[in-house]
Amino acid sequence: MKTVRVVVVGAGVIGLSTAVCIAESLPFCSVTVLADSFSPETTSDGAAGILFSAQFPDIPLERQKRWFKDTFDHLLAIAQSQHSPEAGVLLSSGLQIFKEVPANKKPFWSDFVLGFRLMTDRELKRFPEHKFGQAFTTIKCECSSYLPWLEKRLRKAGGQVEQRKVNNLEELCKSYDIIVNCSGLGAKTLAGDSQVYSVRGQVLKVQAPWLQHFIRDGDGKTYIYPGVNSVTIGGTRQEGDWRLDVDKGDTEGILARCTKLEPSLSQAKVLDEWVGLRPSRKNPRVEREAVLLQGRRVPVVHNYGHGGWGVTLSWGTALDALGMVRQCLHEMPPRARL
Amino acid sequence: MRVAVIGAGVIGLSTAQSIYEQYHSIVSPLTIEVYADCFTPLTTSDGAAGFWQPYLYDKGNIQETKWNKETFDYLLSCLSSPESVKMGIFLQSGYNLFSELAPEPSFKDIVLGFRHLTKRELEMFPGYSYGWFNTALMVEGKAYLPWLMDWLQKRGVKFYQRKIKSFKELAETGPDVIINCTGVRSGELQPDPELKPGRGQIVKVDAPWLKHWIMTHNFTTGVYNSPYIIPGSRLVTVGGVFQLGNWSEANNSIDHKKIWDDACKLEPSLKHARIVEDWAGLRPVRSKVRLEREIIQAGPTAIQVIHNYGHGGFGLTIHRGCAQEAARLFGQIVEQKGRGSKARL
Repeated sequence: MKTVRVVVVGAGVIGLSTAVCIAESLPFCSVTVLADSFSPETTSDGAAGILFSAQFPDIPLERQKRWFKDTFDHLLAIAQSQHSPEAGVLLSSGLQIFKEVPANKKPFWSDFVLGFRLMTDRELKRFPEHKFGQAFTTIKCECSSYLPWLEKRLRKAGGQVEQRKVNNLEELCKSYDIIVNCSGLGAKTLAGDSQVYSVRGQVLKVQAPWLQHFIRDGDGKTYIYPGVNSVTIGGTRQEGDWRLDVDKGDTEGILARCTKLEPSLSQAKVLDEWVGLRPSRKNPRVEREAVLLQGRRVPVVHNYGHGGWGVTLSWGTALDALGMVRQCLHEMPPRARL
Repeated sequence: MRVAVIGAGVIGLSTAQSIYEQYHSIVSPLTIEVYADCFTPLTTSDGAAGFWQPYLYDKGNIQETKWNKETFDYLLSCLSSPESVKMGIFLQSGYNLFSELAPEPSFKDIVLGFRHLTKRELEMFPGYSYGWFNTALMVEGKAYLPWLMDWLQKRGVKFYQRKIKSFKELAETGPDVIINCTGVRSGELQPDPELKPGRGQIVKVDAPWLKHWIMTHNFTTGVYNSPYIIPGSRLVTVGGVFQLGNWSEANNSIDHKKIWDDACKLEPSLKHARIVEDWAGLRPVRSKVRLEREIIQAGPTAIQVIHNYGHGGFGLTIHRGCAQEAARLFGQIVEQKGRGSKARL
């Protein structure tokens, strides 16, 4: 019998991953996901979903390593299984190239991806403007498939979803015992967090089935990510930009920069243009808080602010959030747990 | 001069191309004709996955390693051309897997980024304990051959759909040189006990989430008699068998089952792949490639022949190097003719 009512706000990759973790590990909790958008309309859906990470300034390195490794290992197991196509999770090999040699040649996540090595001179010849590069095999996780697959998993574990825009935490405190806030950019208002800001990204989806490798410029602004049915090319990193409509200037810029790296793209047919707003923050906020709502101290677990690294950190931060939900449960008065 | 090429697989067409490239400005007029019983998409080259990889070891045949390298470097240079997609050329990385330690292959310095597999990578392939990772090239016959034919046609090369039954028959029409690129059926023109069919069968499936080729090796069962999965630009080629001496081009259901079961063990996600078609082809297997000149006497006539056949399962892999060598042999004939006519002055 489910005694503790948990609500997860947000149905992007963070919300659904967190909900699945809770529903599968804590069978006496009822888990309800509330969100204004579901796949295919979330920010996660447009993301290429290639796993590698940035380094956040204020989070202990060990924790960031754990976030990355947990997500990578979880998705690798799916990629190697028969669920790979349905979940949209696959292995992807490729190159990250730099115009200037970076200070850190071996980032912290290099130990967790597969076969990480530096590019040979012969391989760099293809990119005359780039002096240095890394080659490795990582995971691509396509949320347009992964989110529905997670939702299926959530329902199987007894969880529910409901389409509903949550305007404030107050409206939840009567119906739920624990609130898990995975509202991404929405946390700016939902949690009153002024540190949350948008980093606009535009991408194109093109048809180029002959492309098998990803290529990414270390500056994060130019990338080519072959996926199951199309290739995502991009991009832009426009801080503080909240425009959701397609910018034709950005389209031209993306095509020009990507074709320079991969000339065969001139033969690719453009299928679609998409814009997403990365829910950015100096550091992701993964922590618990007791919030005073309608005279009661309600446990809230925050899991938002992953910027452009949502897919990459999804399972690891979900596990962290699960741990925090467990802590909330231990601290709850016994009566509530009956 | 008139050149008659017999065979329109990758060997015949690329040889015609190399001869044209190297001699059309030197020999005038240079007429090139291609005779074949079948053309793309029905040749052996069309059915092949189009994966560039020689056999693991050249067994001292450094000539073939040189031709393989020449082909790789040539295809690599074509990548930056606007024609690369039409040519069916693209890069793809993947895994060579073994259940025991194996010496490094002849192609380790030819391909890009060759390295040994890490322990974690090997964990992805239960049953295999050792292997390599590298980036290689794909050259898909179904695109490459039409591109070659188009290239040749634009330059005046003529094609004739006709089965040539003897060198004599063709020689009677008057060509100066005959280039024999007849692949597995070369024995019909001139018996060659070293040439045998190496029958292969493949299953083509729709599995676009696969982005790496996987070649397994079993030193007991031999080359290509071990599962392989090679994604292409549209479909994934799953194999493999290698049946020496089997001339059947019909699909065999027992072979299909073995190929499919073994491949699904290697790659569980194939379970969900839509099977599109089966295909069987005959690799033109020989102890080594026959690439040499021969003067064949047919009565009073001496026919200049350049043989270029017996490329086994590595025709696409070695084609350019062999074509360039065949053109070089052609050059010898051109030179002799030139000296001959000078001597007659």
